[in-house]
Amino acid sequence: MFWRVLERELRASRARLALALLVVLSGSAVVSAMLNLQLDIDGKLARMFRVFGANVVVTPAAGAGSLAVMDEAVWNRIAASRDPQIVGAAPYLYAVARIPSGSMDAIVAGTDLARARSLDSWWKINGNWPNAAGQALVGSRLARKLDLAPKSRFRVQYGGRSEDLVVAGLLTAGGHEDNQIFVNLRDAQQLAGLPRQISLVQISVAGSGHEIQTEISRLAVVLGGVSVRPIPEFTTGEAQLAEKIRSLVGATVGLILALTVLGVLASMAALATERRHDVGVMKAIGGPAPRIVRLFLAEVGLLAVGGALGGCALGFPISSWISQRAFGTSAGAEWQVVPLVAALMFGAALAGALPLRLLGRVRPAIILRGEGWSR
Amino acid sequence: MFFRIILESVVRNPRRKILASAVLILASAVAAAALTVALDEGTRLAQQFESFGANIEVTPQADTVPLEIGGLDTRPVTQGAYLKQANLGRLKRIFWRNNIKGFAPYLEVPVTIEGSSGPVATTLVGSWYKHAVPVAGQPAFVTGLEATSPWWRVKGNWFAGGAGRGTERGTEQCMVGRDLAHRLGIRPGQEITIKAGGETKSLLVTGVVTTGGSEDRALVGPLSLAQQLANRPGEYRRLEVTAVTKPEDAFGRQDPHTMTHAEYDRWYCSAYPSSIATQIQQVLPGSSARVVQRVAASEGQILGRVSALFWLITLGAMAAATLAIAAMAAASVIERRGEVALMKALGATSGLLASFFLAEQMAVAVLGGAVGFGLGTLLARGLGRLVFGVASSPQPLLLPIVLAIAAVVVAAGSLVPLRRMMRLDPAPILRGE
Repeated sequence: MFWRVLERELRASRARLALALLVVLSGSAVVSAMLNLQLDIDGKLARMFRVFGANVVVTPAAGAGSLAVMDEAVWNRIAASRDPQIVGAAPYLYAVARIPSGSMDAIVAGTDLARARSLDSWWKINGNWPNAAGQALVGSRLARKLDLAPKSRFRVQYGGRSEDLVVAGLLTAGGHEDNQIFVNLRDAQQLAGLPRQISLVQISVAGSGHEIQTEISRLAVVLGGVSVRPIPEFTTGEAQLAEKIRSLVGATVGLILALTVLGVLASMAALATERRHDVGVMKAIGGPAPRIVRLFLAEVGLLAVGGALGGCALGFPISSWISQRAFGTSAGAEWQVVPLVAALMFGAALAGALPLRLLGRVRPAIILRGEGWSR
Repeated sequence: MFFRIILESVVRNPRRKILASAVLILASAVAAAALTVALDEGTRLAQQFESFGANIEVTPQADTVPLEIGGLDTRPVTQGAYLKQANLGRLKRIFWRNNIKGFAPYLEVPVTIEGSSGPVATTLVGSWYKHAVPVAGQPAFVTGLEATSPWWRVKGNWFAGGAGRGTERGTEQCMVGRDLAHRLGIRPGQEITIKAGGETKSLLVTGVVTTGGSEDRALVGPLSLAQQLANRPGEYRRLEVTAVTKPEDAFGRQDPHTMTHAEYDRWYCSAYPSSIATQIQQVLPGSSARVVQRVAASEGQILGRVSALFWLITLGAMAAATLAIAAMAAASVIERRGEVALMKALGATSGLLASFFLAEQMAVAVLGGAVGFGLGTLLARGLGRLVFGVASSPQPLLLPIVLAIAAVVVAAGSLVPLRRMMRLDPAPILRGE
C-alpha cells in the first residue's frame, strides 16, 4: 500500500518532480565536481610547483668546503629509488677548468643531461641538447666572452689533462648557469680526474612543506653521511603560495556548496507546499499523520539520493575536465564525495520539506476548504 | 493598476518572498564574489611570487666570468668590473617603477677569519638589510635583503649599519652563515677578527643566518664594510631585483629585436620580466640585466594554470547561481497557480498575465541582484583579506553583469512554468482539483 501510494504520488506530480530532480541533479553535479577537485588540490598544487625544479640538494657532509666531493653511489641510490615523491633529480660534478682560447677559467659542470633537462624546465636552449660524449651546453654569457656558437669547438684543461668539446647549444637561464659549461657526467669526471665522484645531487620533491621535510629526514637517514637540505626560497615560497591558492579554492567551493544547498532547499519547499493538499485529503480519510509524513519523506529521500548519484556521475567528468584544463592531468574520482553529496542533498531536501512536519497538526477541514495553513 | 497589483503582491505577501529573495541575494552574492576574486586573483598571486626571491639579476656588462660554485663569487677584488651604487635611485624612476618591490646590491670580498686554530678563508657578502636609497624628486626608497630574500632566517639580530657611508663609530657588525658558525663555534655577541688585503678588522657578530644557499658558508655584512675592505667605495658587483611582473606569455617570450615598432611599444609598456630588465639596463650605465628564468618562467606557468583553475571554478559558481535562481523562479511561479487561474477566469489575457508575473519577478531579480552584489563585494573583500591580507578591490563593472545574469535567469526560469500555466484550464484549479 505504502509503495503503491508512493508510486502514484510520484506519477501524479511529474512536472514538479522533474523540476526538483533537475535541480538536485545539476546541483549535485556542480557540488561533486567542486568537492572532487578540492579534495585532490594539495596533490595537484604540489605537482604543479615542480616546474620550479629542484627544492632539495644533497651535498657531502656539512662543514666540508665548496669543492668537496662524494661517491657516485649516493646518486645511484636516488636514481634507482621509486619514491613517488621524488619527481626529478640530477647529479652534478663541478670543476674549475682553464679555457686556453679565452685565457680564462670557467666552471665545468658534469651532469646527467637528460635528467637535468626535465628537472630544469626553464632552461632556454639555442641549438641542440648534447646527445653524445664530447658535446657541451655552454652558458650564454660565457659563450659571448669566448665567442662560441653552436657547432664550434673549444678546449678545456684541468690539471695536466685536456679535453676537446663541441658546442651543441647555448643555454640561457638568467642565473649562474649562464657562466658554466655543462657536459656529460663521465666527461667531467674524466677531466677532473675524479672517477665515480660527484659534488651534489639536486632533487625535486613534491609535497606540502611538512611532507618535504619528512622526505628530507628520510633521505638523510637512507643515504647516510651526507647533508640533505631544502632550498628554502622554494620550499617556503611554495608552501605559502599553495596555502593561498588552497584557501581561495576552498572558500569559493564552500560558497558554491552553500548556494546549491539553498537552491535545493527552495525547490523542495515549493514541492512541500504543493503537497499540503494531498495531506489534507489523506488525513480526512483517516490516514495516520506519521505515515503521511513518512510517505513524503520517502519521496524526498528517493529524489535526493537518486539525484545525487546521477549528479556525481555527471560531476566527476566535469572535475576531470577542469583538472585537465588547469593542471594537465585528469582528476581521479574521490569516492568519498558520493556519500557526502548524497547526504548533503538529502539534508537539504529534508530541511526544505520541514514545513511538512507541521502537518501532524494540520486540521484537514481548513486545508480542504482551501484556506491554506492553519493560523 | 498594473504597478499597484505588482506592488501589492510584493508588500502583502512578504513571507512568500523571503525564501525566494534569500536565494536570489545569495546567488548574486556568490556570483559577484567569485567574479571579483577571479578578476583580482592574478595580480594578488603575482605579488606572492616575491617570496621566491629576485627575478632580475644585474651585473656589469664588461665583467669577467665569475667563478661561482654554489653561488659564491671567488674572484679577487682586483678582477672584473663594478657598478656605481649612486645610480640605484634611478630604478624607482623607470616606467615600471611601482613594480620594483625591492633590490639589493652585492659585493663579495674574500677574507680570512683569525680563528683559534689558525686562519680560515671565507667570503664576506656585503649587502643592505634596510637601506634608504635616495630617489630624485621622491622620498627615499627603503630596500635591501629584507625585501629580496624574505626566506633568510636569522638567529640573533640583523647587522646594523646599512645607513651608508661606512663612517659609523664603534665596531662594525656582521652575521655569520650557519655552517661557518657551526664549524668555528661562533655565537652571536662574539667579536671576530678578519683580514682582507692587508687590512685587519674587528667585527661584532650580531646573528647566525640560515639561507640554504652559499651564504651559509660565509659572512654577511653591510655593503659599506665590503666596499671598504675591497677598497671599492660606492661600488657593487651584482644587483638582485624583485619586481612584480606580468607572467610571460607567448608574446612576452618573443625576442624584442625581431618585433615591429608597434609590437615593441606594446612589449615595452607591458610589465614582462624581460621588458623591466631592459628598462633597468637602460638606466644603469654599463650594466647587463637578465631575467632569472627559474623564477620568471615558472611563475608564468603557475599563474597561467592557477588562473585557469579559478575561472573554471568561477564557472562552477555561476552554474550554481544560475541553477538556484532558476529553481527559485520556477518554484515561485508554480506556487501561484491559484492566482493565475483566478486572473484568467476574470478575463486576463495570457500576455497580460505573463507581463504581470515577469514584471514582478524582474523587480525581485533587480533588487535581489543589487543587494547580492553588495554582499558579494563584501564577501570578496573579506576573502581577499583572509587569504592575501589585502582586501580585494570592488569591481563596479560587475554590477550590471550580475544584474543582467539575475534578470535573464529569472526570466528564463519563470517562462517555462508560466507557459504551462497559461494553457491550463482555470476551472479545475479554482475548484481545488
